[in-house]
Amino acid sequence: MGMRSTAQAFVARVTAVSSAGDLDDALRAITLDMGFQYYALSHHVDIIAAGGKAIRVHNYPDRWADYYDANALGVSDPVHRASHVTSVGFRWSHIPQMIPLTACDRKVLLLGSDQGIGDGYTIPANVPGEARGSCSFANEAGRPMPDRMLPLAQLTGAFAFEAARRLWSVRQFELEPAQTLTDRQRDCALWAARGKSDWETSRILGLSEETVARHIRQGCERYGVNKRTLLLIRALFDGTLTFTDIFRR
Amino acid sequence: MLHVVQNDAVPPPDGIFRSMFAARKSVFVDLLKWDVPVLDGRYEIDQFDDEHARYLILADRDEGHLGSARLLPTTRPHILDSLYDMLCEGPPPRGDTIFEVTRFCLDRRLCAPDRRAVRDALVAALAGHALDHGIESYTAIAEFGWYQQILAFGWRCEPLGLPCLVDGRTLAALHIFITPETPALLAAAGIRGRHAILANERLAAA
Repeated sequence: MGMRSTAQAFVARVTAVSSAGDLDDALRAITLDMGFQYYALSHHVDIIAAGGKAIRVHNYPDRWADYYDANALGVSDPVHRASHVTSVGFRWSHIPQMIPLTACDRKVLLLGSDQGIGDGYTIPANVPGEARGSCSFANEAGRPMPDRMLPLAQLTGAFAFEAARRLWSVRQFELEPAQTLTDRQRDCALWAARGKSDWETSRILGLSEETVARHIRQGCERYGVNKRTLLLIRALFDGTLTFTDIFRR
Repeated sequence: MLHVVQNDAVPPPDGIFRSMFAARKSVFVDLLKWDVPVLDGRYEIDQFDDEHARYLILADRDEGHLGSARLLPTTRPHILDSLYDMLCEGPPPRGDTIFEVTRFCLDRRLCAPDRRAVRDALVAALAGHALDHGIESYTAIAEFGWYQQILAFGWRCEPLGLPCLVDGRTLAALHIFITPETPALLAAAGIRGRHAILANERLAAA
């Protein structure tokens, strides 16, 4: 079967899934077809929306999953963090070149191989306005990466994640428009994100310092937070501010 | 307001057309650094911008460009068959009811939430235009991050080939199918179309 027909057969199958079990079966089959042993598809959750409805499908050995959860190693998974800085698939062996790693991160990556998981390939699923996610394929320690299959893995990951998103109706967790800032609130938040004090922002925008402080305080109220740091983070998360906005001059 | 520009139809106000080509230069040349021709240092125009091309252009009340897309007939040379056939495993789809979507462009002066509203409206307009004019599918080439966004709009898509690294970018081609069910699929994925534009005072046309 040519690569494209394999891809199309998978797409047809995964488009028709109506349950987590279906998705699991489809991923399990394509994982083996491509020469991998393990797969994991997950939503890098959005603790704000909560509800415990994060997408998570995998066939890692139970002892690895349990160990990972029991030890809650590090603040965040380095594979997930690396998936946030790119939109194309990457090998885990390449992660040190992608993001700064702490000693804890290196431990997490080594731990995988102790538990029998070797090198893996992760396809990021980063769609603006939604929490990020990824789909990973991995080998048992000691098995070679099926290099030829990586472009197919990339396609598979994209379509699998889209099927998962549909299945879990993720979009209901998008932040509601009620949190939208007014133009002035957003302007003040933007300059705060650029490192300006309220006084500096007041000079830039031609407002009084009290007015700037009030806009930021009201922006915090809209998001239900009490610290301006949290306001900026929430605004970045839902796209009200972007890194491009902040760093653009 | 949505303008549909076709050779055999009433031409749009001149300003809109020029602002589209200027926006294309800003996005595709200045921002994305594509190696494409620029006219007069201001406008991005290539050999496919001929009398057979169609344009969907979203403009604000002052006829300023908000977003646009170019549709090319697949019965004539277009981008997938002429420049990127390595992205297609098998012959590129061709027919009177198949058009290629190219130069999907969101104006850079928009802030992030507005850009998203215009993006959604343009996607809904592409579906609406297809249903109104008997277009059954679109083909498109996208960088992989954008490819995933296209899937996330909710319409039915199939890959035309595997992703390839081309000039340092990972590109892939896909086929997007438009049926009477498509607007509902888009709505289920949060694409609220013109409603999103009209609800936004900054963007709403007169």
